[in-house]
Amino acid sequence: MTVTDLAGLIEGTIVGPALADARDVRGGYASDLLSDVMANAQDGDAWITMQRHVNTVAVAQLKNLAAIVIVNGRQPEPDMTARAAEHEVAVVTTPLSAFEAAGRLFEAGIRGRRVS
Amino acid sequence: MHPAAVVQAAMAAGLDGVVICDHNAADNVAAAGRAARASGCVAMPGMEITTEEEVHLVALLPDEAAAGVLHARVAAALPGRNAPDTFGMQVIANEQAEVLGFNPSLLSAATSWSVDRAVGEIHRAGGLAVAAHIDRERFGMAGQLGFVPPGLPLDAVEVSAATAFDAGRRRYADPLRVPALTGSDAHSPSEIGRAVTFFHLDRAETAEVHRAIRAENGRTVLGGGRPMEDLAMHILDIAQNGVEAGATRVDIRVEEDADANELRIVVADNGRGMDADTRNRVIDPFFTTRQTRIVGLGLPLLRQAAEAAGGHLTVNSTPGSGTRVSAVFELGHLDRAPLGDLETTVLVLLASHPDVDLDWTHRRGDQEYSLSAADVRAALDGAPLASPEGLALVRNAVRLGEAGLAGPSRRATRSEDHR
Repeated sequence: MTVTDLAGLIEGTIVGPALADARDVRGGYASDLLSDVMANAQDGDAWITMQRHVNTVAVAQLKNLAAIVIVNGRQPEPDMTARAAEHEVAVVTTPLSAFEAAGRLFEAGIRGRRVS
Repeated sequence: MHPAAVVQAAMAAGLDGVVICDHNAADNVAAAGRAARASGCVAMPGMEITTEEEVHLVALLPDEAAAGVLHARVAAALPGRNAPDTFGMQVIANEQAEVLGFNPSLLSAATSWSVDRAVGEIHRAGGLAVAAHIDRERFGMAGQLGFVPPGLPLDAVEVSAATAFDAGRRRYADPLRVPALTGSDAHSPSEIGRAVTFFHLDRAETAEVHRAIRAENGRTVLGGGRPMEDLAMHILDIAQNGVEAGATRVDIRVEEDADANELRIVVADNGRGMDADTRNRVIDPFFTTRQTRIVGLGLPLLRQAAEAAGGHLTVNSTPGSGTRVSAVFELGHLDRAPLGDLETTVLVLLASHPDVDLDWTHRRGDQEYSLSAADVRAALDGAPLASPEGLALVRNAVRLGEAGLAGPSRRATRSEDHR
């Protein structure tokens, strides 16, 4: 699934330059603790979060995530947007809650992996 | 926990000062300040702010006016109002413990400020921004944001009482080149004093503490520890007792022998010493010659710590020629108290008693390093030991020495990093 497909499923808007289709979304992870994402997210995951701090971009890069999905209609902070563009990290915003967004992606066949 | 109770608990713990940090509010700061002024302790204005990322930041504020300004700014950035039935009453009290009113905001909520914004707001109010309990997963910056955002102008980081101070300082503060502080994060009076920070100041007052954190005018942060727990704090306590008893020489040896599974701490001084009767009484928990204590709970608690870890405490003393305290522990015993930050022990001792001839040795396995106050004074060539240069020299010597010990029996100390 491309990031464009993902955005379509969750009424999402892709933030920044159109680099969304370069990456294949292979799984999903939802968490607002960045240390937890650093520990447990997997390569190619779409990461569902409330966080919009610039550090999210570094974490997404570190874990080679396919996209950051910011829920509840929250918009990324300007420095997050800038850093995401610079490092070609796809950011999608959605008016949906984390629960609803994860549910829609799950329905479309995106799975998470058991952590423990 | 009304303002006067906080001040009383701080005095009982032997503290010179406390920072009053309500969550997202500062309306108890003034009463605490008045209660403290009446009793000779310092209650410094502060606030613990929750950012929108759910990171806690401590604002250390220069005065009550600044606290009032930040209080109003935070109130405007908080969503919703308190529901006292659910979250409890948010009491504003005076120093007589009379209730003046209730804070209507939902103080347990997060502000709409990002971390960066909150640091900016704290600075605009003239305060210092400290990443609170940075080692904690929830509400600590490292857990909540993964790491400290590069370029965030923090003034200090606070290591919680859950982490050994030296481990926290090395991991979180040193890379940012800011001082590490520690504190009790007390939510009830009994917790006050469970972790303390030592400063080198002219006198105990807010402005001096701020200077120390900014490393201005020769003021500096010496270190921190957990007085009830860390052996480093016990060592400091015993050595200070010796100096109070007129000692001009204090020899301290800390020996970790992994092969023999033994930790041995020896503190020997040439102070007044004690007769046999007094010697027997000092290891009795109901005896003290002092009214307040600054660190540690004295020999009874150290004895208990040694015995809990399969060891023992020996006190030899001769009136007129000094006292020798020796505590032995099973190094790898599950209940062995953590060593804590020995750098703090040496720095606080030399900063408070620069004329004492301290001889310090730390041995681990077959490696050891030593530091003698006489050598430091000689290297300083007349400059005072309790000066920024003198203390920096001591600090660097201890750090170098400790780094050199990170050898074979490292395994024995790793469990101290996080309990």
